[in-house]
Amino acid sequence: MSSPLNQPQSSPAEASQSQRRGPAVPIWLIVFLFLLLYWGALYFDANGGWFSPKIYAPYRDVEELTALQPGGGGNEFFELGKAVYNRPTCSACHQASGQGSPGQFPPLAGSEWVLEEQPGRIIRLVLYGMHGPVTVKGQQYNSSMVPWNVLSDEEVAAVITYVRQNKEWGNNASAVTPDQVKAIREKVGNRTQPFTADELMKIATNE
Amino acid sequence: MNYGPLIFLAAFIGLSASWFGFVLTPQIQLGRAQQATNTVNTAQLYPIARPGLAQEGLEVYKANGCFYCHSQQVGQTGTQVNFILTEIGTNPVAVAEGLLTAKVGLTNANAAGLSAGLPKTILRNVPIGDAKKAAKVTRDNGASGTVEVVAVGPDIARGWGIRRSVAADYLYDSTVMLGSQRVGPDLANVGARLPDANWHYRHLYVPRSVVKDSAMPAYSYLFKTRKIEGRPSPDALQLDEGFAPENGYEIVPTDEAKALVAYLLSLNSSTPLFEAPVTVATAPAAPAQTNSPAQ
Ligand code: HEC
Ligand code: HEC
Repeated sequence: MSSPLNQPQSSPAEASQSQRRGPAVPIWLIVFLFLLLYWGALYFDANGGWFSPKIYAPYRDVEELTALQPGGGGNEFFELGKAVYNRPTCSACHQASGQGSPGQFPPLAGSEWVLEEQPGRIIRLVLYGMHGPVTVKGQQYNSSMVPWNVLSDEEVAAVITYVRQNKEWGNNASAVTPDQVKAIREKVGNRTQPFTADELMKIATNE
Repeated sequence: MNYGPLIFLAAFIGLSASWFGFVLTPQIQLGRAQQATNTVNTAQLYPIARPGLAQEGLEVYKANGCFYCHSQQVGQTGTQVNFILTEIGTNPVAVAEGLLTAKVGLTNANAAGLSAGLPKTILRNVPIGDAKKAAKVTRDNGASGTVEVVAVGPDIARGWGIRRSVAADYLYDSTVMLGSQRVGPDLANVGARLPDANWHYRHLYVPRSVVKDSAMPAYSYLFKTRKIEGRPSPDALQLDEGFAPENGYEIVPTDEAKALVAYLLSLNSSTPLFEAPVTVATAPAAPAQTNSPAQ
């Protein structure tokens, strides 16, 4: 233990010297370190993604990623409908392909119920459900569909628009707006019973 | 003077700081990651656990040291957004004017020949907002187009993948075969790049039978040479002249080779994810069927 490093830190002579010289760490260094720290914090905030497990370089934040998600294509409403459909709100029964399953769940692709000029009936049956015998594309079905009135007006409108305008399924009918859904909700009121096909047929499609 | 406690304290602080940074923080960040439908607007779960045979193949991959020469991590340095016009509709003039007034980066010269040779990329490397605006304008004018998001970077340019690798890609690997050296190509996406099992058998048996001057060692010991008795095996390798065994003999893969190839084919990281968005031109290949639960 005789290396110069291990000498007692301050001899009396040194102590008085350092008093004369002011503090051991120069002020500019302290300021510089704080500036460096500040810059580091700003840099981290701008580029670090705040430890989110969803953010990897070269992306910086969730907004940036959300904007880049494919399929947006400027048609957010249709994409929302697609997302709702596959949540799996409808795809559980009618399948992602919209083909349903024979004898059990009717198809939505090419269905005359889906492609009606005005969406009055489809909005009702999606909101309140449907049961009893029904004929779709010449096939008989007799089962029941759950009501979807827990979805918001926007989601219902989007999912029906997705179903009605799905070109991959060969469907091309008019879009449905949230206002139309809202109007029908108000008109029908607090109904707990699902609709039957006969009941729906009595309603004019534009009501 | 005794510096023991000080040195101990410094070492302790140093080690625990790195433990916090390298072990605890990532564990908090990603430790509970699960399979998720994070591919926006599809119901498909990602990732899918490897089929049982492929899971065994991971062990063969490990045992043979493939990771000494092959990495499994694709990098990405940036993202580029393009807009592709697919259909012009009935009123090309309105589309062109709409795009020009929307100021999305379309030049007058390009606007003139808009309807020729569709589908074509009319906006290249534009901000995503502009591309979406262009999509809306085209749709409002009876035309249609798609916004294309492509990853860029040296690895992507080499064709090693279509997007960067992220933690989700490795969710079911019990030893993650990240690798660190790239003597050979990156294999993170090899199942999508080279989907032919027979190619892999021939390549593993003698790499030079399919890649001229390949520097990869031959893994011939994963194969058996045997005398053809009766009919030749359907598994037998179809080798080119010069690599084929002598007449009356055939080369068949062992179970290890089969597992290894199943594993290679299961290496597919081309599903677009929320954390690594990318547009796939055609629908991604159906994910491998699973017969075993995650380990
Ligand atoms: C529980 C399974 C189930 C779910 C979930 C479901 N449906 Fe149905 N859906 C049915 C059944 C069953 C019928 C036939 C009802 C009958 O027999 O009267 C039907 C009928 C229909 C019809 C009329 C017949 C046809 O095929 O055109 C439409 C339209 C429809 N469903 C749309 C939807 C939409 C949109 C959703 C999602 C919001 C949805 N369904 C969710 C089971 C379901
Ligand atoms: C000595 C280093 C080395 C080792 C060890 C090695 N490889 Fe390779 N590998 C290469 C090189 C170099 C290439 C490029 C030439 C070629 O395609 O044969 C390559 C190419 C490949 C390719 C083709 C990739 C492409 O995109 O063309 C596959 C698949 C592959 N190796 C799998 C394996 C497997 C599986 C193992 C372990 C059994 C392995 N490699 C071990 C060096 C190696």
